[in-house]
Amino acid sequence: MRVTIDGQACTGHGRCYALAPDVFDSDDRGLGVVLSVGADIPPELERQARQAAANCPEQAIHLS
Amino acid sequence: MDGAGSEDVDLMSLMGPEVSADPRPMYQALRDATPVLRLDGGMVIVSTRATVEEVFRSPDVFSSNMSAADLGNIRPLIPLQIDPPDHVLYRRLLDPLFAPRQMAKLEPEIAALAHRLIDRFVDEPGCDLVSTFTIPLPSEVFLTMFGLPLEELDTFLTMKDGIIRPAGETMAEQDVVRKATAASIYEYFGEILEKRRVDPRDDLLTGFLTAEVDGRQLTGDEIADICFLLMIAGLDTVTATLDCFFSYLARTPGHRRRVVDDPDTIPAVVEELLRFETPVAGVPRIAVKDIELGGVQVSDGDQVMVVLGAANTDDAEFAHAQAVDFGRETNRHLAFGGGVHRCLGSHLARLELRVALREFHSRIPSYHLAPGAELEYSPGIRSLTSLPLVFGD
Repeated sequence: MRVTIDGQACTGHGRCYALAPDVFDSDDRGLGVVLSVGADIPPELERQARQAAANCPEQAIHLS
Repeated sequence: MDGAGSEDVDLMSLMGPEVSADPRPMYQALRDATPVLRLDGGMVIVSTRATVEEVFRSPDVFSSNMSAADLGNIRPLIPLQIDPPDHVLYRRLLDPLFAPRQMAKLEPEIAALAHRLIDRFVDEPGCDLVSTFTIPLPSEVFLTMFGLPLEELDTFLTMKDGIIRPAGETMAEQDVVRKATAASIYEYFGEILEKRRVDPRDDLLTGFLTAEVDGRQLTGDEIADICFLLMIAGLDTVTATLDCFFSYLARTPGHRRRVVDDPDTIPAVVEELLRFETPVAGVPRIAVKDIELGGVQVSDGDQVMVVLGAANTDDAEFAHAQAVDFGRETNRHLAFGGGVHRCLGSHLARLELRVALREFHSRIPSYHLAPGAELEYSPGIRSLTSLPLVFGD
């Protein structure tokens, strides 16, 4: 699974790195960033990633 | 569809104190009637999740500028009343000061402030939680961040109340109070700023003096406009949220026991009660273009009320939306708004709420409403005039 954040849509609610700290971190403004940029996440983190995507108020997280 | 969304109701019937005590039936009625409702006075009420999102995603149409809300200020509050493209310049400067990592450093101090307040009533049979806890805590956190002595509390409370609930029988009288209060806020922060210029400290104000926006330093006016906003947005809102949370938990022992028995559930409790209670019931916008929204024609110049509480209890978004569920798997609530103006202080607010719930329940695990207590919720920002609690089972 590949995880990306739409930087235009993210406004820093912070739900992703609170719910899925192994997949996301915050930048210095509190916007979400993906830890494994340009790489797939390990299968054991897919549940976290899905939960974060489902909880993003701006629907800024994309899974592929 | 001429006249669709136009109903014979006025704003007071939507926002009165009785509705504020339990606004959810009104939210349901609004959503069921129409996603967007034009009141007789011209104000447009937006109440479904889908239309609320549409407003937040269109800041070029639904502006948050000075005309959206009169708070007595003479210049736009920064960043709330600045629209894109300038808005992001200020958020780049301010967001890091309120980012989660930065806020986490405040946790021990917030916990100490909470315990200092709890110490004063823990051995009593009960207390009015509003005057002893929910009002002072957010203001004392704010004073601490600004490097101001806690003795300034009353000055602060007078200033924010003079804007948010100005005394006066008529709108005109209230307007006079609001404007005079605004002048005193500008003067107050102007004076402290001069002190920090000659005697820099490790606090927010000193930080503003050295901060840069778009390659230049902030002006004194800009700093005052930021401080004004932080004071108006950061005190009452957290007080109201604590009022809503504790009054809910006082009436639902089963839910309160979850908080006491399993403090790890507190972050989820905070999110679910933010959704269910939505203490800041709505946020204002002003249309700056003609547009159709939810089947209703909105015109340039229309006042728009975005009803966050209605969006947060919309069955189209949330499973069993009218029930409180601390185990909710998906909770995309908009209690802090959404889009570019999403609450700057949300991470501070969340921290204050978590710490308050954790520390209070660690010392007072059991409490209930005092017999005969009638809770009066103010409209809009749902704070209580008092919350009389009795400790123990």
